[in-house]
Amino acid sequence: MTKPISEGAESRIYPTEIFGIDAIAKVRGPKAYRVPLLDVSIRSTRTKKEAKIMALALSHGVRVPRLLGVSDYSIYMEKIHGNLMKDAKISGKQAEMAGTLLATLHNAGIVHGDFTPANILIGEDGKLYLIDFGLSEISHGAEGRALDLLLIKRQMGVRLYTKFVKNYSQGVPSAREIIKRLAEIEKRGRYQTRTLG
Amino acid sequence: MLVLGIESSAHTFGVGIVDGGRVLANEKAMYKIGTKGMIPREVAQTHISNCNAVISAALSKAGIKINEIEGIGYTKGPGIGTCLQVGQLAAKTIAARLCVPIAPVNHGIGHIEIARIMSGLKDPVALYVSGGNSQILKLSKASRRRYTVLGETFDIGVGNMFDTFARSIKLDPAWGSTVEKTAEGGKYVPMPYTVKGMDFSFTGLLTHASRLAASHRKQDVCFSMRETSFSMLCEATERAMLLSGSSEICVCGGVAQSARLREMLKAVADEHGARFGFAANEFNADNGGMIAFVAERMLTRGAEEKLRDCTIEQRYRIDSAEVFA
Ligand SMILES: Nc1ncnc2c1ncn2[C@@H]1O[C@H](COP(=O)(O)OP(=O)(O)O)[C@@H](O)[C@H]1O
Ligand SMILES: [Mg+2]
Repeated sequence: MTKPISEGAESRIYPTEIFGIDAIAKVRGPKAYRVPLLDVSIRSTRTKKEAKIMALALSHGVRVPRLLGVSDYSIYMEKIHGNLMKDAKISGKQAEMAGTLLATLHNAGIVHGDFTPANILIGEDGKLYLIDFGLSEISHGAEGRALDLLLIKRQMGVRLYTKFVKNYSQGVPSAREIIKRLAEIEKRGRYQTRTLG
Repeated sequence: MLVLGIESSAHTFGVGIVDGGRVLANEKAMYKIGTKGMIPREVAQTHISNCNAVISAALSKAGIKINEIEGIGYTKGPGIGTCLQVGQLAAKTIAARLCVPIAPVNHGIGHIEIARIMSGLKDPVALYVSGGNSQILKLSKASRRRYTVLGETFDIGVGNMFDTFARSIKLDPAWGSTVEKTAEGGKYVPMPYTVKGMDFSFTGLLTHASRLAASHRKQDVCFSMRETSFSMLCEATERAMLLSGSSEICVCGGVAQSARLREMLKAVADEHGARFGFAANEFNADNGGMIAFVAERMLTRGAEEKLRDCTIEQRYRIDSAEVFA
């Protein structure tokens, strides 16, 4: 294969083309440290789960890249032309859009697990696309949702987060309970100290 | 600076002597854990009876007399209260008698710092794995004066999981390290694998393995438990390294004595062209050498504590201890 455009802890992203569409392949490669049976099981379970959650999110109206195919250890999806939110200067409008995006996801019963500007793409159409469901879970609990909020709050800073959370609260019926849980989590010691700073 | 350090947070009473970062002596006596586990009062009693002999052994190993000692360190915590008190009292007594400065040391910082510095690493992601602890840490970027916890166990330490399992299937001796020996030549059977980002959990694995032990070969269950738990630790460590932008890994604590865990972490490091390091086994088991080692770094930077402020703290948090990296 060609050179990966991105290398993460458990997967690499390769450029490709499917049905004449610009696409990317998210490939979970083998890990030398694991015994083969465990290695194969982790990679295939996670690939299937990630694809399933992407499809579920899409069916609930969350904007994610179109799924083009899944094999044992690879997910093929439409390539979104644009920039990562983490590389852009985030506008107030975009912070609000991100709030609506997370609200739609949580209403679909999905917790993202790594909801940061590194996993939101700003398309050339100006719309936001959510990617990287590698740590996502089907969950309706307050804890997981509050942790999604915590992560983005840390990364956005107060001004943008205020706009973000306004739209999020308008979109999620149980928002008050979730924000209360977030406050509790922030008081627990271990999360206070967990920034990488 | 000739510094003597005393460790007594759990079943080991250890005394180390260092000078300029070189460990001149590292002696210890251990309480034998019976089937009932550790009985705090009994452990403390054992430490008291071993105290003088271990100190003397360390002094003669280093070839020095007690009045040549220029500073004292002791484990402030975390650990069992009655056990910590034995080391604290001995340390304060010596410091008062010799009129030398004293430094209270965090036990976990002892393990990490001696592993980090002895293996020549600057800014690693540190996997600290022992009976009670399983954490991934890194020096905070801004100050390098504290360790930040990047990930940790949701429930029990990985060593505790092995110990409990060893006892439940009556391995002899009933310690975690016997699980590793029994695992040799085993075959993999599926086990619960729980990693959430940089955090992980071991109770599900322990329960499942204990159940499987009735119907499967001991060898296979031990093998699968080891492979599954170590893979979880490796995955979380790998993610922590990439997310924090580090390119070094070090492993420390009792479970770091496992050759298999080291081999796996080395493979993680190799995949990313990262460096991998660990300390000699005598510093991974509980020991006084690491306490002396950290105390010397504190004392040469003027971080001595007034005698009356030399307390113990059973739940002394690793991320609240000031370090002199
Ligand atoms: N559909 C996509 N279109 C364009 N770029 C993508 C797409 N999916 C992923 N990428 C790029 O690859 C990077 C890593 O992908 P991601 O799914 O977040 O995996 P990881 O688990 O490695 O973070 C992203 O930050 C982005 O730059
Ligand atoms: Mg990502």
